[in-house]
This record gives sequence, structure tokens and C-alpha cells, in this order.
Amino acid sequence: MAQDGGALRRVLAGLILAFLVLPAFVVFPVSLTPNRYLSLPSGGVSWQHWQTLFTDPVWLSGIRESVLIASLSTALALAAGTACAIGCWRLGSRLTDMVRSAMILPLMIPTIVYALGIYRFYVELDLIGTMLGVILAHAVTGLPYVVLTVTASLANLDPALERAARSLGASVPQTLTRVIVPNIIPGILSGGIFAFIHSWDELIIVIFIGGRELFTLPQLIWDGINENLDPAIAAVASALILFTLAVLLVELGLRRRRQFRAARDT
Amino acid sequence: MVTPVLVEARGITKRFGPRTVLEDVDLDVHEGETVVIIGASGSGKTTFLRCLNRLETPETGQVRIADVTLGRRSDGRPADERELSQQRRLFGFVFQRFNLFPHLTAMQNVALGPRRVLGVRRAEAEARAVHELTRLGLAEHVGKRPGQLSGGQQQRVAIARALAMDPRVILFDEPTSALDPELVQEVLDAMRALAGEGMTMVVVTHEMRFARSVAHRAVFMADGRIVEQGVPNDLFGAPRDERLRRFLRHLEPHHDR
Ligand SMILES: Nc1ncnc2c1ncn2[C@@H]1O[C@H](COP(=O)(O)OP(=O)(O)O)[C@@H](O)[C@H]1O
Ligand SMILES: [Mg+2]
Repeated sequence: MAQDGGALRRVLAGLILAFLVLPAFVVFPVSLTPNRYLSLPSGGVSWQHWQTLFTDPVWLSGIRESVLIASLSTALALAAGTACAIGCWRLGSRLTDMVRSAMILPLMIPTIVYALGIYRFYVELDLIGTMLGVILAHAVTGLPYVVLTVTASLANLDPALERAARSLGASVPQTLTRVIVPNIIPGILSGGIFAFIHSWDELIIVIFIGGRELFTLPQLIWDGINENLDPAIAAVASALILFTLAVLLVELGLRRRRQFRAARDT
Repeated sequence: MVTPVLVEARGITKRFGPRTVLEDVDLDVHEGETVVIIGASGSGKTTFLRCLNRLETPETGQVRIADVTLGRRSDGRPADERELSQQRRLFGFVFQRFNLFPHLTAMQNVALGPRRVLGVRRAEAEARAVHELTRLGLAEHVGKRPGQLSGGQQQRVAIARALAMDPRVILFDEPTSALDPELVQEVLDAMRALAGEGMTMVVVTHEMRFARSVAHRAVFMADGRIVEQGVPNDLFGAPRDERLRRFLRHLEPHHDR
């Protein structure tokens, strides 16, 4: 009886999982269609659309812009988010709880509202249609991921360690680089990975402030869907998914290693 | 003690907000002397130790060690953060809760200071670390992380870490009070050995037998002041201050070892 229940539950879980992921994975067969329109392959497969992706200058520049924007915005989010989390951790007062909450805000405000606000602001700063504008916006919206993961890492770290380092004559920067950061590297890495993925597949902000000069991969897909039904879109989408999966697997691997080491230490 | 004064604290006053935690505290520690500080919880012992090496900045008062006045340069002007860090190295500090760096092995914990703060080369810093750890009976634990060590072993690593910086004085803040009872003795033995080698030490502890047999002087603190001090056997045997009498009555039956 209990076993039947277990089997049923497993089937149900499998169905839910399939419902969640299959729509995403349908792009893989579509990307291999021999036809010139979006369709499931019938009568053979073809790699021509994947070829387009890596030869067509429009797609190539999309890849380049996406990688550039995601990398730079992640770097900014990491620097600011880590500094914020460490600062709050060191001060550890009521006020810093509020600061941390404020940092999470970009996660809760609907992106479209945020994009509107940033649009008005950027008009005055003359940042509309610039890569710098998108990088800054993505850095801000990626910030919460870094603050959250680094704060979680810091929760296990004793603030007294800073006192120990200072008692050995360490300066503040030395304490930061030799004692604090090495202990929260996992949180920093996770935060960076999430911030990167966030920028990598972000569309709304890019549409609002990217103007007609910037085309990231998601935006190219969006335009392609609206304008023509080139199966290269499916190839791009597949590439996006594969890349995201790869990044998440790295994150998972790092977490495993960490847990293994923690288990060994105790 | 007939040796010269090494540490001289004068008029130390420390406030946290409106609360005065230390009020006009004076203390001299002679070269090679072991001074034990006792006092009820909240009497300001930890804060006083931290004022000695400037982990806390006192509102008024001065600490001199050898010919250095903490927080001042030799020309009398205020020291900047970097100079203060250098002065702080004259003191070693051993914490109640060990405070080892969890991402480093015992050897790396001890070598980090010499390597990064003193600028010693890696091989030399590691050799120094192994030497100090061996001296504290931890030769077979050099490669272990703090999480793999018992509390007593961790505290001995912390003592080795302080020693590796070659301090003039070591300050101990209740070094055994976070330990399981069966681990206390190994740490006290290590401290006894250090005192025997002539290390100058200021020890906050309630281990009365250690105080009686090792310390040259015992100091009783209450409400942020030094109330009474003397040779341990005299102080514990014939306390004059009523607060000290009460304190000893509470302490002796439970904690003597
Ligand atoms: N950082 C701090 N902020 C505010 N009050 C503090 C701080 N550190 C210590 N105190 C207060 O100072 C008093 C003395 O504390 P402490 O020096 O730790 O005493 P002891 O070590 O003798 O138990 C206590 O009342 C404590 O609450
Ligand atoms: Mg204390």
C-alpha cells in the first residue's frame, strides 16, 4: 500500500517535472528541422540552423553583446553586492537589516515598472541605447542575487574572526582578502552565476533601454518571433538553455564539493 | 617582580554609549610576569584586555609597551591605522572561543600572520608554524582544519598562532571557559609551560589553582575598576573587599582545580 503510494507519487512528480521542462526542450528537435520555418523535423534532421547561428553576423554580434553585458554587469553586481553584504555583516545592527531588505527590492518590483522608471532616468543621463546603460541596469537587478547568497555565506562566519585577524596585526584590506573573502567564496560564486544568468536571459529592460542599437540574444529571439519564423531562433534558444544548464551544473558541482568538504571536516 | 615594567596602562576609561565599562584603570605588567585577572561577568575584563592591544579604543588613558605608546608615533603624533596594526603585533591575543580561521589548516592558521603581516617567505613561515605547533604538542595535527580538532587542540593552535608573531606579551581572555572540562588541563599546561619559559602574560581566568601556582599577581576587577590586587595566595586567602569575598565564595566550591 505504502509502496503503491510511493510509486504514484513518483509518477505524479515525473509528470509535473515533464510539464515544467518539456516546453523548454521542444526547441531542441525544432532547431534540427530541415524546413525553413519553425516546425518539428519531418523526413530527416539538419544542422543548418545551428550553422546560421555561428556564421550569421547578426546572431554572432548578439552572442557577443549578451556575453559582454552579462559579464560586466555580473562583475559590477559582485563587487557592489559583496561589499554591501560584508558591510552589513560587520555592522550587524537593526539598520543593516533594512539596508539588506532594500537591496532585495529589485527582485520584488515588477521588471516592467523598474524598466519604466529607469527609462525616464536614463533619458536625462543620455544612457538610452547604450551598452553601458544596459550593463548598469542589469548590475542593479542582479545585485539581489549576490546580496542574498553572500549574506547566506556570511551567516556561518563568526564576526570575531575579524578581531582575530586584527590581533595578528592584519590591516583591514588584509583581513578582507585573507580571512573574510576566502570563507565566503562559495556564496560569491553562486551569486555571480545567478547574476550572470539573470542578465543572460533578461529581455524587458533591454527592450526598454536598449533602443534600436543593442541586440542581445533574447532580444534577437523576440524580434525574430515577431517578424519571421526562422528556425535559427530554436537553435539560439537551445544554445541559451544549454549554456544556462552548464552554468547551473557548475554551481551544483561547487556546492557538492563544499558539502563533501564540510562533511569530512566534522 | 624586580624585572622592568613592560606594559603600563594608565587611566584607561572606556564607554559604550552612556555606559562606562572601564573607569580609570591602571596596571603595570613586568617583564616575564604572569598576571591573572578575575572578576564577575560584566566587570570589564574582556574590554580591558581589548583596550590593551587596541582592539577597542579607550576614551581616555594610555597604554605603553616597551618604548611604544599605542596609537602614537614616536614623534607623539597620532598613529594611522597601518602604524597601529604594527604596534598591535607587540601583543598576542588568545580568545575565549579560539577564533581560528575555518578555511585554513592548523599550520596555515599559524603561518598566515608571519607570511602576510611580517612578510616572511612561505617556506620559512611554514617552518615556524610547524615549530610552534610541535612545541604545543600538535605535531600530528598540522594538516587538520579547525573543524577536525577538539576544543583543547584548537585553543593550543590559537596559542601557537599568537606565539608565531613573536609578541612581547600574550593576553588570554578566559582561554579555557569554552572547553569541555576534560580538555581544560591540556591548555592550562601549555600556558604553564609558557610562563615557565619567561613569557609575559595577562590571563583572564577563573582557574584558581592555575592562578595560585602560576601567576605572580592576581587582580580583582569589579564594575570597571581594579578593586584589589596582590600575590594570589594572599588575595584569595585574605580578601579585604566585600565584593571579592563574595566572588570567591561563589567560585571556589565549583571551579577549583
Ligand atoms: N561592544 C559593546 N557594546 C556595548 N556594550 C558592551 C560591548 N562590549 C561589552 N559591553 C558591555 O561592557 C560590560 C563589560 O563587558 P566585558 O568587558 O565583556 O566584561 P567581562 O569580560 O568581565 O565579562 C558589559 O556590561 C557588557 O555588556
Ligand atoms: Mg569576558
